[in-house]
Parts: sequence; structure tokens; C-alpha cells
Amino acid sequence: MSDRIRIVVLLFPAMLIIVVLFFGGLVVGLMRSFNYMPVIGLTEPNLQAYWSVFTDQEFFLSFLLTFHIAFTSTVISSVLAIGAALLLRRRFVGRALVNFLFQLNLTVPHLVGAIGILYLFSQSGSFARLAAEWGMIAGPADFPELIFDPYAIGIIIQYVWKEIPFIGLIVLANMQSIGEDYESVARSLGATRWQAFRYVLLPLLLPGVLSASVMVFAFTFGAYEIPALLGANFPAALPVLAYRKYTDVDLAARPEAMAMAIVIALLSAVMIVIYLRYSRRRIRD
Amino acid sequence: MTHVSIQSLTKTYPGSSEPSLDNLSLEIASGELAALLGPSGCGKTTTMKMIAGLLEPTSGDVTFDGRSVLRDKPEHRGVVMVFQNYLLFPYMSVAENVGFGLKMRKVNKVEIDNRVNDMLALVKLPGLGKRKPSELSGGQQQRVALARALIVQPKVLLLDEPLSNLDAHLRFEMRDLIRSLQQEMGITTLFVTHDQEEAVVLADKVALILDGRMKQYDSPDVFYKRPVDKATARFFGGQNFLNGNATNGQFKTSFGVLDLPIDCRRGTGTLTFRPENICVTGKTTETNTINAQLVEKIYLGTQTRLKLAVGTEFIHAVVNPAEVENLEQGQRVNIAIPPESLWVLTS
Repeated sequence: MSDRIRIVVLLFPAMLIIVVLFFGGLVVGLMRSFNYMPVIGLTEPNLQAYWSVFTDQEFFLSFLLTFHIAFTSTVISSVLAIGAALLLRRRFVGRALVNFLFQLNLTVPHLVGAIGILYLFSQSGSFARLAAEWGMIAGPADFPELIFDPYAIGIIIQYVWKEIPFIGLIVLANMQSIGEDYESVARSLGATRWQAFRYVLLPLLLPGVLSASVMVFAFTFGAYEIPALLGANFPAALPVLAYRKYTDVDLAARPEAMAMAIVIALLSAVMIVIYLRYSRRRIRD
Repeated sequence: MTHVSIQSLTKTYPGSSEPSLDNLSLEIASGELAALLGPSGCGKTTTMKMIAGLLEPTSGDVTFDGRSVLRDKPEHRGVVMVFQNYLLFPYMSVAENVGFGLKMRKVNKVEIDNRVNDMLALVKLPGLGKRKPSELSGGQQQRVALARALIVQPKVLLLDEPLSNLDAHLRFEMRDLIRSLQQEMGITTLFVTHDQEEAVVLADKVALILDGRMKQYDSPDVFYKRPVDKATARFFGGQNFLNGNATNGQFKTSFGVLDLPIDCRRGTGTLTFRPENICVTGKTTETNTINAQLVEKIYLGTQTRLKLAVGTEFIHAVVNPAEVENLEQGQRVNIAIPPESLWVLTS
């Protein structure tokens, strides 16, 4: 058996799964989004589902909320992760322990984390009770609304908590491979500590930071479970809205759900491209 | 022009019991080019980083024109360090790299552009400002690193192994460029190297550091003529070491007596002399003539190395190939060692 044939044979099972599940699903989803669903008598493809999506005010509000969640979570996680990596690359007593604790929540599933956030930050949660106990607020109900709130604060807290170590570890590995000599050169050329970070280290870290933050952005933009658990009912995040449409008792709503899913994917891709271009230009100027 | 004084500088890294640099003291006069010479890991780069303020010394002081600079931040010391691997910022153009120090000082853009162009011309890289470092050869990158350092007109320039990454041809070119720029601008300069030839050719004074301690700080020729000890002599290619006793201007060896120069130390010690100072001669009338047996003869193109046996001792000589063309292994030969080339080391 030639090498080429062997490679094809070895790759076949993996490729089969990717092609059938991913592209198969995509094709089916696209067909349904174009209102082609013979099982319920929709046999003439059209753009009606997309029209309904784009003219629906709820979709627009959901998009704004989802963008806010993804963008804010990504930016806060990235900034804090870079800060954490800057501290963790230093030598200090107990560094190994701090490093271990920093990575610990990578192993905790999102759902478990979300329940923790719910217990801690909701108006009936631990922080609300403690604040009331210490007389900071009259009663737990006076605690600020951080869960199921219109600004998605609980969702953002959950994402930030979970994504800081993810981005942080990538950035830390990046920092360690870059070393400190570039910053030393910059300092000896007259750069302050901040200038050495801003003009030298940050641009060198850029590829790692961007690829990690793009992954976080794409994930938080398309994730369903956290907004479903910690988010407000209206407006809901786009994946929650799409799922609601998909599970609507009226099968005729399904093309709209599919159109929404396709739009989420496209928007996500477009925003990643814009984010990458903008960040590169901002950091390198 | 800045006079640099390093006083009892010591660095022990956390977790290490041995100092990486132990009690180094040296003076570098204004506008002088000094070399820190030593093998890898002997504390040369550590010394530079402490002078530049990039590393805090465990003890000791660094003064510029009599003023301690230890409390000054690196960006305020006026010291620029050029690293061995150049460390040009890869995402910046050559011009941006060269102008980096001026940008950090908030110099206006027009002036930066003018000074960058002048500096690129000075290091013989005119018109390459728009290129990225990755588009340059090693020699060109080295010039850019030098231009980036010189443009800020530092009080003190530190060069970490400036020629080690260059091939032989570029080394000569770069060596001349560094020397001429340093003399033209009069910047007090310290460079580190593990290559004694590089140190000798380039520096006004050389500090030899072995195992974290400075062995000798002198002008280059002194290391060949008057090394302080055996290790120093060996580092500079010394091969001849004979134990004996120096009295009344003579040194008693196991095979006879050799006349010494006037300024030689007395007492028990080790006599040393350079292999290249030995003359193969037919005569027996010259001072310090010894009859030896040729044990080994290695032709090296421009020179021939000889290993000669005298009693139980061996003497190594480097001579002109034409002088020993007819000598054969096992043959006896007269060699002369001029008294002025002898030097007695402490045992």
C-alpha cells in the first residue's frame, strides 16, 4: 500500500465524521434556513426566514446583548489574563501553588461554575445574605441584580472566571518563550516599564493573545448553556433565542431558528475578522 | 564622556550559594573601550546587566563620574546595552527600530526621521529603513542594533558578544566599524567576549574574568608578557610552564639555569614564556640556549608547532615553517628563549 493511500485510509474515519456531522448538518441547516423543509410541505426555497429574523426587534436586541456578553467577557478576560501572566512569570515564594490555583478552574465544567455563580451572586445567594447580615443592605432583596439581569453581569462574571486561566496560560507560555531580554533592550533604550510593555512586550504577545481571545469570543458568542442558566428572559442571548425557536411547537418556526443559527455563525466570523484587524492596528501603532 | 567605576560588584542569584560575580572592581576611563573577557557563564553578562540597571547587585557599587547610579532606573542611566542576538523588534521596520529610543523620549517625528537617516548612513545601511529585520543579513542586523543604541547618544555603551554571531569576513568589518564609531563618538564602551583575540584587537584594556572573579585588568599586551597566574597565561594561549626558583636574575629549572629580565619576581615560582618567542637556532652562543629533542612537528600552514623535550620537561614552540623545514622528529636542536620573554608566576 503506497503512503498516499495509507494516509487516506487512516484519515477516512475522522474525515467521515467531520463531513457527515459538520458539513451534513450545515447543508441541512442551510436548506431549512432557506425555507426548504419538504417534511412539512415547504418545497420552494426562499429568504423568508432571513427576512423574519432581520425584521424581528427581539433578534436585534438579542444580537446587541450577545455581542456585549462576548466582547466584554473577552476584553476583561484578556486584560486580567495578561496581568496575571505578568505576575506569574516573576519569581516569588509560593509561585508553584499560585500557579496551580490559577489553573484549577480549567477543570471545572461551565455548568458547575454557573451554579456556583448563582449561589454566590444571586439576590438569594451567599453574598446577598452576607451583605444583609453585615448591615450593608436592608435585606438580601436589596442586593444588586447580578443574575438574570439585563446587562448580563452574572454571565460575564462566569465567562471571565472561566476564561482568565485559559488565556492566561497561553499568554504565560508565550511570555516565557519571548523572555525578558526584549524588554531589557527597550528599558536600556529609555523606555519606562509601561512603555516597554506597551511598545515591545504587548506586540510580541499579540499573536498568542489574539488567537486565545478569538477562541473565547467565538465561544461566548455562540454558547447556549450559561446565558440559558444565568441570563434574563428578555432579551435572551442569540443561541437561547435560536434554541427557543427550534423547540417551538410550531414546526414552521424551525426555518427561522436555522436562519438565526446561520446568522450567528456569520456574524461571529465577521466580528472576529473586525476584531483581529482592529486589535492588530491598535496595538502596533 | 563618562568615567565608569565598578567597585566590589558582587551578584549571587537567589537559591545559589556561589556568587555568579565575586567582588569585581575596575575603572573605565572616559571614552575608553574596555573588554570583559572570560568563558561562558563566568559572570560577564551579569556584570553588564548590573551596569545597565537591569539586574540589582547583591553588593558593590557602580559610579559614573563619581556618582552612584545604582538607584537610577535603567531608562535614566544613559546606558545602552546591545545584546548578543541583536534583539531587533521583529514587528518594526529598521527605521522604527533605530528610532525607538528617540520615540520613547518623545522626540518629534521629523527629528526622529532625520536622525534615523543619519544614523543608518553612519552604519552604512542607507535606504534600508523600510525593511523588516527578518529581511536583513546577520551583519546588517548587528549594524541596526548598533545604530539603535548609538542614536540615543548614551553615556556608556555595553556590547554583549558583539561579533560572536558573525562569520569571519563580517567580523573584521564589524570590528573596524565598532572601533571607528566608538572613537568618533567618544562613548565609554564595555564589551564582553569569550574570544581573547577579539578582546585584544578591539579593546584599550581587558578584564579577564574566570569563575566569577577578575584575574587581571590590563592593556592587552600585558596579558601576553606579564600574566598574573597560570590560568591567565593559559587563557591567552600560554603552554610553557616550568617550576623552579628565581634568584639573582636567574631561574633554576630541572634542566639548567635561564637568565631573567630585571623586573621579574624572585623566589619559588613557575616560569612561563610564549611559544612564539622561542627561536630555533643553530648557535649555542645566544643567551638562554637549550638543546632539546624534537618530539612532534605539526604544520599549520602559516606556522609550525613544535613539541620539544628537555630532560623531563616539554617545551612548546610556534615558529615560521621555513625555519624548521628540514627538521625531523627525533632530531636534536638548539632553541633560544630571549630573557625579556620570560616571566615568573606565583606557584
